Amino acid sequence: MTTLDTRPIHDEVPGNYLTFRRGLLSWLLTLDHKRIGVMYLIAVLGSFFVGGVMALLVRTKLLWPGEVSWMTADQYNKAFTLHGAIMVFLVIIPSIPGALGNFVLPIMLGAKDVAFPRLNLFSFYLWILGAACAVYSLLAGGFDTGWTFYTPYSSQFGAGGTIPVLVGVFILGFSSIFTGVNFIVTIHKLRPPGMTWFRMPLFLWALYATAVIQVLATPVLGITVAMLVIERAFNIGIFDPAMGGDPVLFQHFFWFYSHPAVYIMILPGMGIISEIIAVHSHRHIFGFRFIAFSSIAIAIFSFLVWGHHMFTSGQSPLMNVLFSAITFSVAIPSAVKVFNWLATLYKGSISLNTAMWYGLSFIFLFTIGGLTGIPLAVLSTDIHLHDTYFVVAHFHYVMMGSALIAMIGGMHHWWPKMFGVMFNETWGKIACALVFIGFNMTFFTQFMLGSQGMPRRYYLYQPEFQIYHHISTGGSYIMGLGFLITAIYLIHSLFAGKKAPANPWGGASLEWQCTSPPPHDNFSTTPRVGDCYDFSAVSWDEKQQGYVVDTEAHVAAAQHGKGH
Amino acid sequence: MTHLITTILMQSSSDPALAAGEGPTPKTFWLPEGASTFAETNDWVFNFINYINYFFFFLVVGLMFYFVWKYRQKGREVYARGPSHNTVLELGWTIIPTIIVVVIFFIGFRGFVSMKTVPANAYQIDVTALRYGWVFKYPNGATSDDLYVPAGKPVKLVMRSEDVLHSLYIRDFRVKQDVVPGRYTTMWFQADHPTGKTESGEDAFHHLFCTEFCGVGHSNMNRKVYVLNETDFSEWVVEQGRWLDKIPEAELYSKAGPKLFARCVGCHTLDGKAGTGPSWGNYDGSGNIWERTSAANSAHKVDGKSISELIGPGKKYENPESYLRASILNPNDHIVEGYGPAMPTFRGQLNDKAIDALIGMMRHLDEFDAKGNFVGKK
Repeated sequence: MTTLDTRPIHDEVPGNYLTFRRGLLSWLLTLDHKRIGVMYLIAVLGSFFVGGVMALLVRTKLLWPGEVSWMTADQYNKAFTLHGAIMVFLVIIPSIPGALGNFVLPIMLGAKDVAFPRLNLFSFYLWILGAACAVYSLLAGGFDTGWTFYTPYSSQFGAGGTIPVLVGVFILGFSSIFTGVNFIVTIHKLRPPGMTWFRMPLFLWALYATAVIQVLATPVLGITVAMLVIERAFNIGIFDPAMGGDPVLFQHFFWFYSHPAVYIMILPGMGIISEIIAVHSHRHIFGFRFIAFSSIAIAIFSFLVWGHHMFTSGQSPLMNVLFSAITFSVAIPSAVKVFNWLATLYKGSISLNTAMWYGLSFIFLFTIGGLTGIPLAVLSTDIHLHDTYFVVAHFHYVMMGSALIAMIGGMHHWWPKMFGVMFNETWGKIACALVFIGFNMTFFTQFMLGSQGMPRRYYLYQPEFQIYHHISTGGSYIMGLGFLITAIYLIHSLFAGKKAPANPWGGASLEWQCTSPPPHDNFSTTPRVGDCYDFSAVSWDEKQQGYVVDTEAHVAAAQHGKGH
Repeated sequence: MTHLITTILMQSSSDPALAAGEGPTPKTFWLPEGASTFAETNDWVFNFINYINYFFFFLVVGLMFYFVWKYRQKGREVYARGPSHNTVLELGWTIIPTIIVVVIFFIGFRGFVSMKTVPANAYQIDVTALRYGWVFKYPNGATSDDLYVPAGKPVKLVMRSEDVLHSLYIRDFRVKQDVVPGRYTTMWFQADHPTGKTESGEDAFHHLFCTEFCGVGHSNMNRKVYVLNETDFSEWVVEQGRWLDKIPEAELYSKAGPKLFARCVGCHTLDGKAGTGPSWGNYDGSGNIWERTSAANSAHKVDGKSISELIGPGKKYENPESYLRASILNPNDHIVEGYGPAMPTFRGQLNDKAIDALIGMMRHLDEFDAKGNFVGKK
């Protein structure tokens, strides 16, 4: 039985969530959303490392157009498949909701935890179980189908680890669904008094939209991989035409999930960018409602466009035309967000912290990623570009250049909050610059490779493409170096970093009003809520070496409708 | 109404008169050589979108850098009083991009309609895709591994797959279509300019790639496309239909064997290394393919038992030739130990004479090098 802590929240709290209880078991059996968030962070970053090594192996092979002695075609196929599957299912989909969302969402709501803490921990262990299946599949012969598992290759051929990894994907799906359910209920039920939907931080709007997709779309993936396992294991014809099935049906099922999944990956990233841009510009976000509703619009439209992955699949031309037309509807809310972020910079007071460097990198890379989606959505040009490196470059700009860059930006934004330490800003900016330069070298060349006609998933290629591959591989090494530096200075900060103030960047949302790191219960009393994008009551405090929010003035401003 | 619009769009974009240029459009920074009637219109669309993209990219990134520099934080000042919304502006940047993408959609739609409307007089070539090769079959029954098409004439490909998904992509023609087992897919194109010779005197060609992942040989599944003028093409196709007949019986295995083996090389090696299928060479110490099927006490195992239980007088196959022939026509009846049922049937693709040539090659495997070239008796 804990006694009610009545000390004001701005005072030094002796304990925090990291020191609240000690020992390995206190972590493994924790119901604290913050600790679960940290465990997700470690797990996701570990997977990111493995997926990244696979990517570097693939890129290194592609330095040579012919065969190489150290990697056969079969190993190459397994390496790019592993890279794709890890990055999609183990890294990007759980990264922002699982790690950062878990940590920040309840604090942003002024709540003590998510609505269902046990379900939250269960989600994490489902992730572990799914990852274990993927590891087991490697021992069982690996898998070489590409992360898309297209039939009948995956059901009739495919390496021995195909079924275990499909089971893993099935389990990971449930991990994702449970996180989504948890976030939806938490946002509906645990908002503090005064936090209306339109006073809620945009990161939470984004997580909410994401959670809706997770809950509605992921079951379709589960059903699809279950049917594929049944076909492969028991020879029951669902997708294989030799047994009366239809391989194009699989593609419909698969993309019915996997297109919305693209937005499961990018929407939380967009939410983070809304936070980073507003906080580091110290300026009210521009067009709150447009950004909030564009997240919902994206979530809805994302269900209606899956067929644009299938313009050459043999589906009817009429469907191609319809899907192409609807696809453009997704472009609009994305463009609206970019323009709103730009307008937020206008007349701001912009501090160029590492997190902001990542925020600006996101705008740059997402603009390229979004615009290059247009020739892929246009029917006549997609016929040429489909299944070439152009597609590879496009989705890396969106999945990595946007979603993952946002995740890393968010990690820097909330790092002082999560661990109570400041990292080295200079090294942060050097690493960000290396990642940005390396990324563009790696993937911009791939646009040219693709539009020049180099197909994807090729072990051997025509010598005319070699120069592009050399630049691309060189870029990937620079990017790898950037991530390595990031890992070093972040880990270093945990042991030797300067103590972080409660509010190092000048944010006004609730997570900046509890200590860094937050105490076990986040807030001792239900906090009072102002407008989280109203920075009029934020000022620099020399003693704390951080910003402070004058809560009275902040709440009063919101009540009088000021700060807009 | 829709029909009317479609008709008008089609007429304006698939007008053959448009096609008559001086030669293929040259390779540019973004795009490869354009050698079909689609290339010109589709490249125009691609470049049009690119210019719009350049504009918006430089607008967004330019404004971003300008604002970041102009409104950088001075000291510890935090509260910046910028506007928090502006409905006219926000509606503006919602509506203007909407109009632009609607226009872009219609331009792409127009090109797509002509790509999907096969002209009635198109020359039909039947295509079979199999791991890891293509068989192109012409109206007179001739077949080839590379694609030959007549210049200045619409060509229609009717395609099916023997095994998994493949996708036929001729980048210089800007066409691509998945090849799906269990159904027929079609595509058409018209290439107006014969490929001719390169400067060094070799036959010039366009690349044909498989663009749907199909296994270890996926990146090997590329072939050449030759465009011949109409006279050359009709001569070629007649010759091609007869090529096997013109080879004397005695030279069948040495001349036709290597050509036919090109269809097998994706899965079967000659040097003993295991591929998707067993090597024809001496791969597990039990001799080359002829030796292990004909030897009385072969160690070679098929369906879990010795192969000699299958072959011989009074057994299922009278002689090795019958077994090998059955293995080409009904490959999955007997599975060699260590392999799966991966081989497609060649029934209807190889006639008796072609099978004779391949079996002849197996019998004289020591007269071929590791790549399947005939080198004669050692």
